[in-house]
Amino acid sequence: MLVKTGIAVSQGVTTGPAMVLGTEDFRIPRQVVRTDAVEMELNRFRTALEAVCEEIASNEQLASQQMGREIAAIFAAHLQMARDEKLINEIETQIRERCHSPEFAASRVLRRYARKIENLGNSFLAERAVDVYELEKSILRHLLGEGREELADLTAPVIVLAHNLSVGETAGLNTEFVLGFATEVGAHTSHTAILAGALEIPAVVGIGRFLSDVSGGESVIIDGNHGEVIIDPDEATVEQYRDSQAKIRSVAARLESLRPLRAETKDVKRISIMGNIEFPEEVDHCTQRGADGIGLYRTEFLVLRGRSEPTEEEHFDAYCRVLDAFPDRPVFIRTLDLGADKIPDGLEPVLERTQNPMLGLRSIRLSLRNLPTFKTQLRALLRAASHGDLHIMFPLISSLMELRHAKLILADVMEDLDETGIPFRRDVPIGMMVEVPSAVVLAEQFAKEVDFFSVGTNDLIQYTLACDRSDPAVANLYRSGDPSILRMLQMIVAAAEIHDRPVTICGQMSSDPKFVPLLIGMGLRRLSAIPYAIPEIKEVVRSITIPQAEQIAEHAMTLDLARDVEAYLREELVRISPDLIL
Amino acid sequence: MNEISVCRQTVTVELENGLHLVPCSRIAQEASRFDCEVQVCKDDLIVDAKTILELMTLNAEFGSTLVLEARGDDANQAIRRLVRLFETRFEDEAIGDG
Repeated sequence: MLVKTGIAVSQGVTTGPAMVLGTEDFRIPRQVVRTDAVEMELNRFRTALEAVCEEIASNEQLASQQMGREIAAIFAAHLQMARDEKLINEIETQIRERCHSPEFAASRVLRRYARKIENLGNSFLAERAVDVYELEKSILRHLLGEGREELADLTAPVIVLAHNLSVGETAGLNTEFVLGFATEVGAHTSHTAILAGALEIPAVVGIGRFLSDVSGGESVIIDGNHGEVIIDPDEATVEQYRDSQAKIRSVAARLESLRPLRAETKDVKRISIMGNIEFPEEVDHCTQRGADGIGLYRTEFLVLRGRSEPTEEEHFDAYCRVLDAFPDRPVFIRTLDLGADKIPDGLEPVLERTQNPMLGLRSIRLSLRNLPTFKTQLRALLRAASHGDLHIMFPLISSLMELRHAKLILADVMEDLDETGIPFRRDVPIGMMVEVPSAVVLAEQFAKEVDFFSVGTNDLIQYTLACDRSDPAVANLYRSGDPSILRMLQMIVAAAEIHDRPVTICGQMSSDPKFVPLLIGMGLRRLSAIPYAIPEIKEVVRSITIPQAEQIAEHAMTLDLARDVEAYLREELVRISPDLIL
Repeated sequence: MNEISVCRQTVTVELENGLHLVPCSRIAQEASRFDCEVQVCKDDLIVDAKTILELMTLNAEFGSTLVLEARGDDANQAIRRLVRLFETRFEDEAIGDG
């Protein structure tokens, strides 16, 4: 039995056989080939290389449409490398004259170049050796067959163990067969982690090196509550897990009984509890738990999941699917929030290299630079708005100019729709995500120009505390309970009140039951949370009164440290609903 | 015997990060359009201008002096094209229209 500890990112416990996905290094099966197979091996190499070139060319095209010329130029350079005649010649000579296998020859030649570049003593160029290693990996992948396609061909339940899963790979997991997953890298708030929550399968990330200890097929327990992965568990451990799963099920059953009840406080004040979703199918997770609507629909997963850019109709269908699930409840749809850690597959290796992706071309900035994609989405949103209570919100607004620019584009799209006589809803409510400190400081001005606010706590905390939530070295500085965050929220609520604008709070903070009394006490009446957290939040809401919540908020505001705030809120939660502390 | 046309010119690297991935790719891309042989020399290092990987191993940093040398019928045009790349600091997008 081997127990590994990582970061729990998606609740639940599951047991199944291990399936290990290819680690970073490919195993080269053989070094030499038979003399009479040389011609065949040369052809195999050429076919693989052609496939690599096609892949890079299509990424280049995608990049030039979506990411701009600078990034497309990197792909052009990769293509130049893959088509380098001298390089091809060197590899083919090794195959022809030394009977080396194409895998071995390509790896050897490319690694020689990479090492040469690494050893030039020029740190800037040394980093570019990565590009050479990437080409090597890409050629090997094509020669050896796409290892990860196994994921698409599953026919029996497995637990996926991998070095890393990209956002696209996670989004594509078939939850019929993938019971849970564990990865060597990753952090609490990475989007792969958020997706695991959305898929509702237990997951543990950031375990560190462990794949060399697993060969696949072993029995594995993933404990998404405690962040443990147990390989080859002994009898006693299996038994113990069987018991704890039974207990979890009984609490879940009690929470389930809350579904038909209204989310209102003991003194009968209505609080709206909505769900955060990434995929239209998740509306079922929300309706099953009695959500009051969708507070945040992260549309970029439509792009991240697909092989090509979604069409207007695909956007439209997805939005209608969500609206249909909530015919008389609000649905808040956020326009594309791509960039930073949410990069369409294929562009991942390149955009990660941007010096400072969180402060770079992402989110609304990327949309405003990429108008055809943005307008396609806005057209679909405006059309879908006539089918339900749709609200449009723009992410990462950092200045009034940016907001006005986005609204101007929206007006343009309306004009286009008008001209072509396509029906749409003109007075659709327009709001913005408040997630950049500048937007908090200017909240009163912003409130005049939008119909509602939605506070994205994940980004707001990261930008306020200047801490990258996905960097394990500083992730401990990322605290929802920091007094500065509490004051930010207070400013937002106050500014919105002056202009009578509703405020929703979404992000991980509002999915954590201990913050619920605080948020309500600060005056927030709309919470949006991960679907599985909705029953817990409803339980908290139904167990307090507004004056009680206000008292808690008032006291929390007097504390100096995030640690103290969070400890205090935890104590209060124990008093309010003791069962919720696991 | 036909006389082989040879053309040679000195250029300076005026890119802050030197000849890194993308500029090397541009040089190789442009050089490959011509039939002539093109070499880039830095001190006593000589590499094939049509090979991005070799160009990177030149380790040409900001301020380096390089000699471009082409041999063949279209040597003249090739050098003109490459010199223009350096002169525009690799920003001239018009280059490459053939």
